[in-house]
Amino acid sequence: MKLDWSETDERFRGELLAFLEAKTPPEATRVDFPGNASGGDAIPAWLRAWQATLFDHGWMIPGYPPELGGRNCTPTQTMIYLEEFARRRIPRATHFPGYAIVAPSLLEFGNEQQRSLAPAAIRGDTVWCVGMSEPNAGSDLASLRTRAVRDGDVFVVNGQKVWTSYAMVAQQCFCYVRTDPDAPKHKGISLLIIDMDTPGIEVRPLTHITGHADFAEVFFTDVKVPVANLVGELNGGWALTQGSLAHERAGLWVDGVARLEQTVRDLVDLAKLVGRHDDSGVRRAIASMFEQASSLRSLGYKGFASYAQGSSAPEHSYMKMASSEAGKAAFELGMELLGPFGAATGAGSPTTLGDDTGRWVTSFYVSFANTIAGGSSEIQRNIIAQRVLGLPRA
Amino acid sequence: MDFTLTDEQQLLVDTLRTVLANECPPSLLREHHDCRGAHAPLWEHLRGFAELGRGDATDACLVFDELGYAAAPGPFFASVGLFAGLLEAIDADSALRDAVAAGEVVGTVAAADSQGIWHANDDLVKTFIPDADLAQLIAVVSATDDAMFVTILPHPGPSALAEIETVDPSRKYFRWDTGDEIGAAIPCTPMQWRAFLDRSFALASAETLGAARRCFSMALEYAKEREQFDRPIGSFQAIQHKLAEMSLLVERATAALHYAAMAIDADHADRTSACHVAKAAAGVAARRCLKDSIQIHGGIGYTWEHDLHLFLRRATVAETQFGTTSWHHDRLADVLFA
Repeated sequence: MKLDWSETDERFRGELLAFLEAKTPPEATRVDFPGNASGGDAIPAWLRAWQATLFDHGWMIPGYPPELGGRNCTPTQTMIYLEEFARRRIPRATHFPGYAIVAPSLLEFGNEQQRSLAPAAIRGDTVWCVGMSEPNAGSDLASLRTRAVRDGDVFVVNGQKVWTSYAMVAQQCFCYVRTDPDAPKHKGISLLIIDMDTPGIEVRPLTHITGHADFAEVFFTDVKVPVANLVGELNGGWALTQGSLAHERAGLWVDGVARLEQTVRDLVDLAKLVGRHDDSGVRRAIASMFEQASSLRSLGYKGFASYAQGSSAPEHSYMKMASSEAGKAAFELGMELLGPFGAATGAGSPTTLGDDTGRWVTSFYVSFANTIAGGSSEIQRNIIAQRVLGLPRA
Repeated sequence: MDFTLTDEQQLLVDTLRTVLANECPPSLLREHHDCRGAHAPLWEHLRGFAELGRGDATDACLVFDELGYAAAPGPFFASVGLFAGLLEAIDADSALRDAVAAGEVVGTVAAADSQGIWHANDDLVKTFIPDADLAQLIAVVSATDDAMFVTILPHPGPSALAEIETVDPSRKYFRWDTGDEIGAAIPCTPMQWRAFLDRSFALASAETLGAARRCFSMALEYAKEREQFDRPIGSFQAIQHKLAEMSLLVERATAALHYAAMAIDADHADRTSACHVAKAAAGVAARRCLKDSIQIHGGIGYTWEHDLHLFLRRATVAETQFGTTSWHHDRLADVLFA
């Protein structure tokens, strides 16, 4: 065990910081912290350009080779990279499905033609959405019902997806469909690439409790998808859902922890603003948040190497659950500090509270999504209990 | 940045586990309840590890985690953890340091004030002196307004020290009204004191965490074996989620501990803060694991006959010593609000 970074790694950090110094667009530093669980309904032009710049300079997925937007760096260097972005609150991209879920899955499971779609997904030239959840297949994803029936050279797809991030702007959908309704539920699922321009697809934005439309519902009615768009084996799609969820989880912890650390700093400022900085209960509550954030960062470090080397580390289920739950508690504490103005949204509140009015309750609401999306906390606990601790299934 | 154990560290852990499995079974802990001398054969094995007292904090933390897991009785924590750490910090007489590192001399540390707080203090009454009855030497840490001192004294005799009884008989704590007995002293700079405290907090975290881990693993094992309603209780989600939360706290505290130990060895800037985080995280894990391990065991865990309480006791007391969770949170708050 050792704490220091090697000379090579420090040189890597130096190169990264020089690049960020020279190329980071001014808009990137003004983004309120990126990395919400959901996606937006539009992708700003500057952000698209930034993602392409990152790709072209080998800084998009630094662990990949140059043709995939990277520079073949080591797992440790990938972590340095993610940390420096998080620390500076610089986004890589908003539309994560393409680079974080679709590209890794295509590269692992796709045929040659499908693998060739990966660079554009990573560069952000193609916007992807991922069709997983359905009205009756949330945590129980394997019970999905969207049907694909073979008819000559095409599959005919009928059904509905929900909570589909970026469906409003996506060109392609990475869609999980049922191809064998008679097989056990995990064994009848396949993965199709569906062009979002195909006739029969309808996208309806889904407004959530904060009033924003970050997700969509996607309806498929007799959508014809070429058989060549099947990724991996027919009825072998379940293995790929496991892969994409692992990719999604693996990258989330650095941002999640950085956000938590930032929230702790904001809570300290808020406690001073409302004159509660000498309240020992408040101080302890905030210090407890700091303790959680710091120890989760250490846990993330501990698990990172095994993830980056390609195996899924149990630490990531812990990280996902713990950082999202801690975030929710931290925002709740912020509301608590605001007292009667905790749930006020702005108008009519004391001006002394400034930007803090409304901000904490909004973040509190947004944080609900983080303990649900990408595998709810309850599912994470099941995974930990059954896969990590070896407890029997019910 | 590397959190993986080296081959040497893995060997150290494996060797110690074997020693403890053979020499420190629950039956020894029970025997030790009634006979204070029962730890002696174990000490004969553990003194071979005493050199760790002046080695890397990373190695020492791995060892104290295992000792906490076994709730090992005896003077190892007092002498190799605290006493040796203090001698190294103040650069004490090398012959004495060698003797402690060889396990030939056993010492302990009297530093906590009359309220049991580990900070610089001029209190003549020192409390929570661990296993002082097993020590030949006691290092008393005292402070004036602008300086600190360490005085190494021979044990003043059993009548001078009063036991502070706790729920955990595997370790005894004492109170000593030192009066005017403190004589010639070795100066201790604030940096040396800080180095001693940080290391002591990290080692105490390791012990606390080890005890928490034991309670957790006993509950996990029991949940897999115990059947109700014709199936293992570990198949019920209510039990699974309890164990998942317990394991999260144990894993998180383990990572925090390893980070703190590495920060000590690297003399990293956030060394002190990392040690506060480690002890707080270990304390949180200990409280949760001791409560929920009993809950998962149900009635059998509440009996004297079952071994769980042997470890639950160590976890309970360890959380309260070398700074409670709340005390460490307060120290972190001092930094955050500075």
